[in-house]
Amino acid sequence: MSGDGSGSGSAVALVTGGYDHTIKLWQAHSGVCLRTMQHPDSQVNGLEISPTGQMVAACGYQHIRMYDLASANPDPVVNFEGITKNVSRVGFQKNDQWMYTGGEDWTARIWDPRAAPQFRCTKIFQVQAPVNAVMLHPDQSQIMVGDQSGIIHMWDLSTDQNEQLIPEAEASIQDIAIDPEGKMMAAVNNKGNCYVWSLGGSAPHPVPLKHIVAHSKYALRCKFSLDSTMLVTTSGDCSAKVWRTSDWTLLRELRNDTQRWVWDAAFSIDSRYLFTGSSDSYARLWDVEKGTLEREYCGHQKAITALAFRDQAV
Amino acid sequence: MATYDNKIWLLKNIRDAFIATDDTGLCEIVMAGEDFSKVFQNKAIEEKKRIREGRLMQPGPSKGKDGMGDISEEEIGREIVTQFDPYPDMDDSEDDDPLCGSYVRYEDLGGYRPRSNTAQWLDKKEQALKKAAKIKVIKWEDSSLTADQLNEMFGKFEVKKPEKQKSLLAEQLQNCPNLPYRQYLEYAKFDGTAQLGLPTKSFKIFMTMLPEKHQTYPLVVCVIASAKIKDLIGFTCYKYSIEHPDISLESVHDYGLCIAEDDGEVDWAFPCLDANEPCSKFGFTCLGLVELKSKSAMAQPPSSIPEDGMSGAFHVFSKVTDSGQSHQNPSRHNTGGSSTSEAVLSALKALNEGGGDADTGRMQSHILATEAPQYKAYKVYLQRKVRSNTCVQLGVSLYRIEIEPLVTNKHAFWSRSKYFLHSIDSVAWCQILETRGNRTTFRIVYSPNANAVYNERNNAGNSTMYHQNPTFKLHDFECDHDMAKEIVEKVNTILDLRNSPCRREYKTAKEKKLQTRRSFHTKHLS
Repeated sequence: MSGDGSGSGSAVALVTGGYDHTIKLWQAHSGVCLRTMQHPDSQVNGLEISPTGQMVAACGYQHIRMYDLASANPDPVVNFEGITKNVSRVGFQKNDQWMYTGGEDWTARIWDPRAAPQFRCTKIFQVQAPVNAVMLHPDQSQIMVGDQSGIIHMWDLSTDQNEQLIPEAEASIQDIAIDPEGKMMAAVNNKGNCYVWSLGGSAPHPVPLKHIVAHSKYALRCKFSLDSTMLVTTSGDCSAKVWRTSDWTLLRELRNDTQRWVWDAAFSIDSRYLFTGSSDSYARLWDVEKGTLEREYCGHQKAITALAFRDQAV
Repeated sequence: MATYDNKIWLLKNIRDAFIATDDTGLCEIVMAGEDFSKVFQNKAIEEKKRIREGRLMQPGPSKGKDGMGDISEEEIGREIVTQFDPYPDMDDSEDDDPLCGSYVRYEDLGGYRPRSNTAQWLDKKEQALKKAAKIKVIKWEDSSLTADQLNEMFGKFEVKKPEKQKSLLAEQLQNCPNLPYRQYLEYAKFDGTAQLGLPTKSFKIFMTMLPEKHQTYPLVVCVIASAKIKDLIGFTCYKYSIEHPDISLESVHDYGLCIAEDDGEVDWAFPCLDANEPCSKFGFTCLGLVELKSKSAMAQPPSSIPEDGMSGAFHVFSKVTDSGQSHQNPSRHNTGGSSTSEAVLSALKALNEGGGDADTGRMQSHILATEAPQYKAYKVYLQRKVRSNTCVQLGVSLYRIEIEPLVTNKHAFWSRSKYFLHSIDSVAWCQILETRGNRTTFRIVYSPNANAVYNERNNAGNSTMYHQNPTFKLHDFECDHDMAKEIVEKVNTILDLRNSPCRREYKTAKEKKLQTRRSFHTKHLS
């Protein structure tokens, strides 16, 4: 899919977006920018590559746009409209049947990009504060909605019922992650704290597992590695921290004092490498095992606020 | 304009214009529908007929009054004016297509007319619409699906433990351990081809510092217009090392960019472009990347684009001069704007730049301008070709520059040097040449016979002297960097205030040289 520019089976796609209103597609191993796409009138709040690897969805102010990764088209091919405020996160159902978003209009939504309007399935979930984070459970039946008032709503898609978790009063939930096996959920807040619950045990509800004081400042993202052995948290304190999920100790601190806020992160499929995107307009590739900086991706004019990575041949 | 009185002509023209330029597909309706110009024409004929008949029926009193008893039908017809009348002059062509020759120009057929702003705006609008037409828009609307259908959509999946997969990234990283361009990575962000909406500038860069076999083709680089020359150098290295990973390049600081011919031959008569200037300032599109070491080894003439000499102090004003003359280079087709607007823009930018900084900058230049004419003496070293440098006192005032040797050892006759006094109007140029360690060399160019030459010329009353280049001589001085900067700024401020014929001549010659880029060898180069 990112084949343009390097024919030799280069199928991994690193996509970054940020405050300069562009989305860039990179050749991940060389650090060369392959393409620049236009994201007019808005920063990029979140990026997600579709399950087929064909498209990348970018959410920003009042829009969710989808770009074709295979073509050289710098403009989006699909534009989702009808939202009044910032869309903060976007994600896909694993069979690409629908797409979910959360935004500052206090809602989480389900979109159906494919069907004709009369068959289109949409769903909306209203909360009492701007939504910062949405995370689909791997069983595809629940969406965790984290809002600025500090509540995590567990929205059951088939019944539309929801359950609430409040890990810390008056601390805005910034991001939520669930591990690929569906056994752990983590959430970070604007105080730099990280909370972990265990899911899917004998108890029907999430059971608090761990509280980590992960960062001294604003935390921005958290993500589990594909093998569920690691959790990364990124923060406004110039660092991304990788935690062992076995005992919740710090495995690696990936720090670069010039990078300022680390906005987003993504693991490679073998959980060995980690991408980060930061305010200094660089994306970086780190070797998590060694703790070394492997690559840098330079080309954005302003801060990178979102990235998406897909480590598979498509 | 008279034809615009003609209703039928106007109707016809509007109709034709619509049919010719319509791209909505609606023109068919118009074509199939009634042609109002014809309708009007027919109505006019009918009306005339009616009136004429009416007149003939009733013998009006006018008949008697006029005393013209015998009125021919033709005359009646000619006098009748109806509301449907076409323009009188065009009556002749009434019968067939009265108003052939529509004035609509069909642009597709090769006709050209200058585009108005509105037309351009409409064009842009249209392109945006076309672009938008390719984007599928999905608006938020509420779902009309039944509960069963929804359940199907949101069914639970069984969560399987993900299999361990081999990372393609890891494999690719392994195959690509060596990245020679990595040292230039910070310059990647100046890539003009990766920008949307930012002004960019393209250059042909000849890698003249490489062995000859690598110099055949220039590297075409496109950077954002705000990139500085040093960024352009860095980006060139970045791009070159991506394309030729086998050739190793030096650090960016070891290179400079010089003006080059289209065939890649560097014009050594000029120093490298100032690394801190934005590349949008220069009109040249062919540049040669040179190694600074080899460059400094060669004897360098004291030339650069005139505004470079006036470092900082008269930034705003220097732009005004540059709009006037220095950028008349014909190769300046890639800058994306006229030099004037660019100069105005940069002047505005300089004025608006970040509040406080600009203010202090302006204050400084103001202070400099008021202080500059005051006499001040500096202790500097006069460089000489064969002997060691001598310590001199360099006095600068609004009227003259004097160089007085400070003799420390009266017996050492070899170290003695002459006393110079130059009228400020015979001084043409002053600039910093190079900085080595904490020592900076600067140069003052003067014309020893300036007054004579210009007087002569004025007396002659024509410009015969114009093409004769007065002989310029120079003094090179050495002192610490701050003092050199101060002196150069002071002298340049004074020179700008005076703007003597000598200086103008020197500048003109220099610009001419920049433009022709060859065959101009001033005598002082030797």
